[in-house]
Amino acid sequence: MATAASGAPKRTRSPRLEFVGGQILAFVGAALFAGLVGGVIIVLYGANPLFVYATVFNYATARPEDIAQVAENATPLIFSGLAVAVAFKAGMFNIGVEGQYIVGMLTAAIAALYLDWLPGVLLIPAVVLAAVLGAVVWAAIPAILKVKTGAHEVVTTIMMNGIAISLVAWAILNPLKSTGEQSVDLRTNLFPGKALMPSIAEPLGLPSSVHLTLLFPISLLACFFVWFFLYRTRLGYEVRAVGSSSGSAEAGGVSIGAAQIKVFLISGALAGFVGLNHLIGDKGYLGNNYEVGLGFAGIAVAFLGRNHPAGIALSALLIGVLIRGEDGIAISTELPTEVLIILQGVLILSVVIAYELVRRAVARRQLKEEAVVEAAAPAES
Amino acid sequence: MPLIDLGAAIALGLRYFTILYLTALGGLFSERSGIVNIGLEGLMIVGTIMGAWGTVEYGPVAGLLIGALSGLVFSMVHALATVTFHVDHIVSGVVINLVAVGLARFLSALFFGQATQSDPGIPHLNSIDIPLLDKLPLGLGAAFSNMSPVVPIAFLMAVPTIYVLNRTRFGLRLRAAGENPEAAETLGVRVAPLRYAGVGISGALAGFAGAFLAIEINQLFREGQTQGLGFIALAALILGNWAPIKVMIGSLLFGIAQAIPLRLSDAPVISLLPEEFIRMIPYVVTIIAIAGFVGRVNPPAAAGRAYEGSAA
Repeated sequence: MATAASGAPKRTRSPRLEFVGGQILAFVGAALFAGLVGGVIIVLYGANPLFVYATVFNYATARPEDIAQVAENATPLIFSGLAVAVAFKAGMFNIGVEGQYIVGMLTAAIAALYLDWLPGVLLIPAVVLAAVLGAVVWAAIPAILKVKTGAHEVVTTIMMNGIAISLVAWAILNPLKSTGEQSVDLRTNLFPGKALMPSIAEPLGLPSSVHLTLLFPISLLACFFVWFFLYRTRLGYEVRAVGSSSGSAEAGGVSIGAAQIKVFLISGALAGFVGLNHLIGDKGYLGNNYEVGLGFAGIAVAFLGRNHPAGIALSALLIGVLIRGEDGIAISTELPTEVLIILQGVLILSVVIAYELVRRAVARRQLKEEAVVEAAAPAES
Repeated sequence: MPLIDLGAAIALGLRYFTILYLTALGGLFSERSGIVNIGLEGLMIVGTIMGAWGTVEYGPVAGLLIGALSGLVFSMVHALATVTFHVDHIVSGVVINLVAVGLARFLSALFFGQATQSDPGIPHLNSIDIPLLDKLPLGLGAAFSNMSPVVPIAFLMAVPTIYVLNRTRFGLRLRAAGENPEAAETLGVRVAPLRYAGVGISGALAGFAGAFLAIEINQLFREGQTQGLGFIALAALILGNWAPIKVMIGSLLFGIAQAIPLRLSDAPVISLLPEEFIRMIPYVVTIIAIAGFVGRVNPPAAAGRAYEGSAA
């Protein structure tokens, strides 16, 4: 680095700290910009942006149950953001989180319906495991195809998403179709009560309408484990090496294919958790109107959070606030709630662009400092 | 009886073909210029809402053009993010798709007073019969009568596309930007404007296809009416190896595959297969193709790569 040369640069701030500081500034700047763009849309619609933003904030933070609602909204997004980020660290794009969690919901539903003879202490872990296994199998196909045939995972995972949607639609209409009285909903039978994820809303004294379950603390634990995996284990180090420069990683003796397959399976395992809060924390059955788009939202969350576990948790909570805010907008204003989805998109793009601008600025500065150092010590070589 | 169904199935398949081929050709221009565009679905969604609004206000011809124009404008977000700011092409494409859903609901609430759909029965173009083909016996004539004029236009789009790509200065430079931007820049070709143009054409064509879907097929805007057709168009583009005629064949195959469960569900053999499995065909075929089990898939060499040229 530039500071290695004796005495030349006067500045002693660590470049890393400067980089992180720049990133935070970039985020704040981009968020303000997004707020401004959203504000223009709101004004065009004839509403007051400050009132709208205040409404969003109030609905998300006023009462304990609002905060719990935000945490519930964030839970699946944390898992899907982590799933995307882990793969991305190895230089791969898992756009298949969407299909993976959908298949995970299917296998989890099968476990909940057919392993109902298990006691609850075993049934819940079995359902979770089934979700993870289903998602891992769905992730394994593109992972193996990538390593063995070079098929790009972006294309294969998009296709696997399409297959997953049709597979689940077929299963709900055929082998898993509810046997009860002719219900209008297309769905499976209700799961046994002992298959449902324990709520932490009621022990905290919150109304049972909030579906805050053990999965929220588990998602935070997952953040820690992913951080530990990436930054404190050998495989994690290899994964990051492959992601930042596959050529030098290979020269350093890392088997790229093996590392990529392993990390893609881990990504799939995390994807398995994405649909669980909806499935066994809220509904208690798999219906054809299940929640979609969580996998794609995870891509947004991962990039908002710079693919770092702590950043992912924070961005998932931020998106959770915006989702909660939609209720507030619907109740207190005339504005279509979709303005917040547009706001999310503007936010994500401006944040990613801001990060890129900071990266360029820092790189340019470093280049300049190195040039200064070289100019100051020309005789040494 | 089954043959009459066959005529109807081909007619519907040709409509799906039109959506897929127009969108895939758009993707072709974008990717041949070096910008991966998985936002085709979102661009199409913008075309459906704006096209529906346009046809209600000014008639179907204007509706189709407004749909194309809106797709073009919206695609500039993708161009700005990927070409100018070097945002990852996939991230930007995902955002395009996310925002399009919200934008369409927002605009629908604005135009039609409800977020999820317009009034049904919006105006459409006069349908045409293809001379001679509409007289085919055994009910097959039904496939070529009462057809939207946009369907033959979609087939004919192959001609200007091939001409532009292979015979014009613009087309050659566009392909150079997608294959080897460094070399192109060395020869004095400015890469960034070409990529903006490639993305813009993809936006216009996907928007036009979306407007066609809303105006000419469903005669309304309805949330979710694109049903992932943008991704199937992407599949046709890959299966067709980014070449106009092969992409046409892929779009035809996938278009017919879309129509089979809807029109031929009682035909022999097909009645034994669940419709959901038939819907998987385009995706499965594409995975097999890209894994190299049949032929080879060669994407443009520089597609997906940011080009930090002299402008950076």
